Amino acid sequence: MTDPEPPQNSSIPLESVKVVAESIGISNLTDDAAKVLADDISYRLRLIIQDATKFMHHSKRQKLTCDDVDNALKVKNIEPLYGFKASDHIPFRYASGGGRELFFTEEKEVDLSELVSGPPVKLPLEVHLRAHWLCIDGVQPTIPENPPPVSKDVQKLEAIDPITKLNKTSKEKSDTSGKPTIGKFHKLRNVETVHVKQLATHELSVEQQLYYKEITEACVGSDESRRAEALQSLASDPGLHEMLPRMCTFIGEGVKVNVVQHNLALLIYLMRMVKALLDNPSLYLEKYLHELIPSVATCIVSKQLCMRPEMDNHWALRDFAARLMSQICKNFNTSTNNIQTRITRMFASAINNERTHCASLYGALEGLSELGSEVIKVFVLPKVKMISDRMEALNNPGNSPDKIASVHVKHLLTKVLPPLLKTIRPTPDNLDDYRNDYGMSLGTSLHSAVLKARISSTGSTIPVSQSSIIQSGGNEIILPHQPSRTIMVGGIPRPQSQNVVTQGNQQKYVIVTSRPPPSPSPSQVSQNQTKQVFVTSQQSVKMDDHEL
Amino acid sequence: MTSLPTDMDLEEELKTLTKTVEVSTENEQGPEQVPEKTTTLQAVLQVLRKYNLKETEELLKKEAKVGVDGEPGQGGDSEVSNVLSTYKSEGNPELYEDAYIDLKKFVDGSLDAYKHELGMILYPVFVHMYLELVYNNHEDQAIKLMKKFSKEQEDYYQTDLQKLAQVTKKEHMKGNEITDTFKSNEFIIRMSRDTLATLKRHLQEKKQSIILNIIQEHLYFDMYEGVARTKQQIDAVAGSIIGEATRADNKTKVYYGMPKEPDYQYTAVDDDEEGEAGEGDKPKKKKPKKEPLFGKKTKSDPNAPPTDRLPLPDLKDNDKMEKVKALREASKRVTLGPETLPSICCYTLLNAEGKVICSEISDDSSILAVGFSNSNIKLWSLLPQKLKGMKSAEQLQDIDHDAEDVWARIIDERNVDTTRVLYGHSGPVYRLSFSPDRSLLLSCSEDATVRLWSLLTWTCLVAYKGHVYPVWDVRFSPHGYYFATASHDKTARLWTTDHHQPLRIFAGHFSDVDRVLFHPNSNYVATGSSDRTVRLWDCITGHHVRVMTGHKSPIHALAFSVEGRFLASAGADTRILMWDLAHGHLLAELNSHTAPVHCLAFSRDGNILASGSLDCSTKLWDFTKLSEEVSIEDVNVSHNPEIRNNTESYLLRSYATKNSPLNHIVFSRRNVLLAICTYDSSI
Repeated sequence: MTDPEPPQNSSIPLESVKVVAESIGISNLTDDAAKVLADDISYRLRLIIQDATKFMHHSKRQKLTCDDVDNALKVKNIEPLYGFKASDHIPFRYASGGGRELFFTEEKEVDLSELVSGPPVKLPLEVHLRAHWLCIDGVQPTIPENPPPVSKDVQKLEAIDPITKLNKTSKEKSDTSGKPTIGKFHKLRNVETVHVKQLATHELSVEQQLYYKEITEACVGSDESRRAEALQSLASDPGLHEMLPRMCTFIGEGVKVNVVQHNLALLIYLMRMVKALLDNPSLYLEKYLHELIPSVATCIVSKQLCMRPEMDNHWALRDFAARLMSQICKNFNTSTNNIQTRITRMFASAINNERTHCASLYGALEGLSELGSEVIKVFVLPKVKMISDRMEALNNPGNSPDKIASVHVKHLLTKVLPPLLKTIRPTPDNLDDYRNDYGMSLGTSLHSAVLKARISSTGSTIPVSQSSIIQSGGNEIILPHQPSRTIMVGGIPRPQSQNVVTQGNQQKYVIVTSRPPPSPSPSQVSQNQTKQVFVTSQQSVKMDDHEL
Repeated sequence: MTSLPTDMDLEEELKTLTKTVEVSTENEQGPEQVPEKTTTLQAVLQVLRKYNLKETEELLKKEAKVGVDGEPGQGGDSEVSNVLSTYKSEGNPELYEDAYIDLKKFVDGSLDAYKHELGMILYPVFVHMYLELVYNNHEDQAIKLMKKFSKEQEDYYQTDLQKLAQVTKKEHMKGNEITDTFKSNEFIIRMSRDTLATLKRHLQEKKQSIILNIIQEHLYFDMYEGVARTKQQIDAVAGSIIGEATRADNKTKVYYGMPKEPDYQYTAVDDDEEGEAGEGDKPKKKKPKKEPLFGKKTKSDPNAPPTDRLPLPDLKDNDKMEKVKALREASKRVTLGPETLPSICCYTLLNAEGKVICSEISDDSSILAVGFSNSNIKLWSLLPQKLKGMKSAEQLQDIDHDAEDVWARIIDERNVDTTRVLYGHSGPVYRLSFSPDRSLLLSCSEDATVRLWSLLTWTCLVAYKGHVYPVWDVRFSPHGYYFATASHDKTARLWTTDHHQPLRIFAGHFSDVDRVLFHPNSNYVATGSSDRTVRLWDCITGHHVRVMTGHKSPIHALAFSVEGRFLASAGADTRILMWDLAHGHLLAELNSHTAPVHCLAFSRDGNILASGSLDCSTKLWDFTKLSEEVSIEDVNVSHNPEIRNNTESYLLRSYATKNSPLNHIVFSRRNVLLAICTYDSSI
């Protein structure tokens, strides 16, 4: 029996019996007769289902299909009901009327002529045979055909509740057999050692070391096709769990060094590595966010990311990193780590600061706008006027990098804001109001953009929000609107940000890590012309650097 | 302990208690049916007398040739009233509930030592109470009884109880498998002598007619001397549809050993040398290697059947060649153990969700056959060599039959393909089996036929029609020629390829026979059934020689150990049970899978047992350790050894596949485990 409910509880209702009776012309079926029929039908149906489960078992399945029921009917010498071949769940529809309640399956009328004249139905795929090694001499190789040695759920569990891992390792000591061990190490060790403190071993096999070397070289090397392969491997290989700490350290250190050297290309490569790791379905990165988030944040808001700020397109890197950040927030935000809150706060404080570098301002704006419309509404919108004024001021002198930055900021704002403004502003769009609220030039462009958006939305029933679809190197990332994810409430961060302003009129971000970060190189931080406060569990390190 | 009546008294009492009285309640309807037992007749006569139906009484007496009422003695009279008491209680269905509560109280209040054994009678008594109520049209009381007490029964009876609970009307009982089984068979309970005495005393004191009747009619006590068993021991072997196996069931001697390999191997080698000069040196090289390999088998096994016990077909040249090839491969195989685990090669069938039913790999690992739900059979060549076909009949006529290379000549080199499809069945193909010489393939299907296919012409040769219901399993004998089938019609059958009728019909299971498997010495056939028993049948006599209970759901996989003494079985209850065929004892219970286990395989050296399950994992078990531990212990017929269920100590490794439930596993001749699974994207 697949039905866990006691069988007495389910039976064919009298109403259904009566309806069936009516459909064949018996209109005055008494309740008693209907009851007898209903009981008997229920019993017969159960018998058939019982037999059908036998066919299911012999087909080595755990899901009952129409075929099983057909076969059970055949065994009972009843003509099966032909034509029911749905391989999936058939939903029951509910209808009531005239004091009756009925459940039925919907059968749509099929126009045969359409079927005949239409294009031929696609053939079902041919059954295909594929061989691979499930294990070699007792060791399961980590290849895509095999499941990841540590499933994502387990990784997640370990990240959230480290005690489970400790418990399990102590249990495994007495019983090594249950789990597929990754290397032979475990087993041999257990024989020799008397008492080993429960520590996670971080030994990589020779193959893994080679892999690490190859991958990291390919990722930052010059051969684009090799890099694509390496990234593909990072994004899909199931066995990377063991190497993850090293990969993340590699990325973190790499960003630190290259931000100092203004090596835009390498920073882009490293961000692509982050993207690949995030995309890998078998990895759960929560434990390594303390290394990844600072790196990604640096790539978003750093003052200078390239040698020639006036020429190079570091904006793309900022956009890309901002998307990564929003992906991280989306995937790993929990009520305990509050990632999104903290990230938002960081960006918001950058915007609030009047002396933030234009490029950093752009990054912060981009970072916030990637986090969804609610965040834009709360944090960006109140500041638009201020930003606009700043940009206007920058426009006048011939300061080339700043001017480019201001253009980009304006462009970003006109891209991000209209969908929001469309919904919150009253309908008669007055140009002067816009200019008042958002500054001269920005107000004008916003006004026209909103008008355009309104026109296009009246044409189609579903409003297409421009910001929700962002082109990213051919991929379309669709950011869902997250009204339920309002994390920041206006009152809380403001006093903090004011604090920051009074403290030292400098850009500041607060990065809270669970362990002391590997000493950040002072030169790097100084480049950002920022003051970083790392709040750690043990100590808080303050670094105050001046411009070079 | 309690003071017991003298042995003689007890013996007699036990006899009367265990004596069964078949009551066919239908007799009440009319006397024209001929009852089997005189007591029943007397009961009917008494009823007739009561209603003053003189003529009918006379007629009945005449027809049944029963004497006048004076004839049955004193004892007879009491028995008559006993039988009639069933009918009395019929008038008062409320009594059943109280009677059951009384019995439960007695069980609960009895000494701890006997409690669990006594507890075994609760389930059958409950079932028969329910059936009696249903039979006598007390639907409401029956449902009430079921609702009130069904939850208290053991977990492993719940599926049966669910099935029983559906039967609420007398009409339903007709043709219902489970009620028929209960009605026409006694529920077997093994009980120690002391426990039985306790029960007997209680029943005598209480004079509970309802329970007394049920116990007399439907329960069979298989008494044994010794201490009462513990709850754990009872649970381990309980779960079959109709109680445990009796001791007598497993008394027959079973020749579980492997007969000495006849000399054909050596002659085969010689033949080779004589026949083909070119290949002559190869077997020569191999010879010294081979002898240590088979050194242990030169001693004849005392448990082996006489070689002439089952007539086996003579080996043809081709078979000898195959044997030589197998030996050559075997000499290269790795001896497995906990330190040297096998490699597993996994064949995944893609795009096969719900389509693939069964799969099979030929003994030399060269061909993979897959049975589909759309009634096709598809074969893949697992080697670079393609699947070759034979020449047409006209071309074959030109070939010289006596030519040495006649086998090579009949092959049409142009007629080759990497895959072949066999069409013929008209229902899902449930199992396939290769003949040992790889020239034939058997398939069984939902369409109730078994088909024999030639792997030279790739056509169907015979359709064996004997079963009338879906055939679940078909297996070739390890020596070829014979094959066995298992079917929904509750029988297993033994066939030979050259007869269209079965040679033996193994009937005795109470439900579908789901799996069948030949013993490695071909003299026995093991069957696993939905009645949750494993039985071993003698191919010569057709009788069952072992009945083994302990599974809690249908059995889906069987495997004999290499030396033939042990049998592993597994099924929908996710556990793997290990049986000793010498006495029919349950040895071990391996419980680690989380979904039905559909395949089992012993490694070729017999050291490792592999199991594959629908939970997308395959597990390796240390069989050497298990068999060593068992052999130390002194076992005899009546004493069931301790059942090992410390799964962790035997589990070597568990390997998960990627969302691919295991369909079939088999060890190749070189001890590489070959697994076939179907990728299921919906998991």
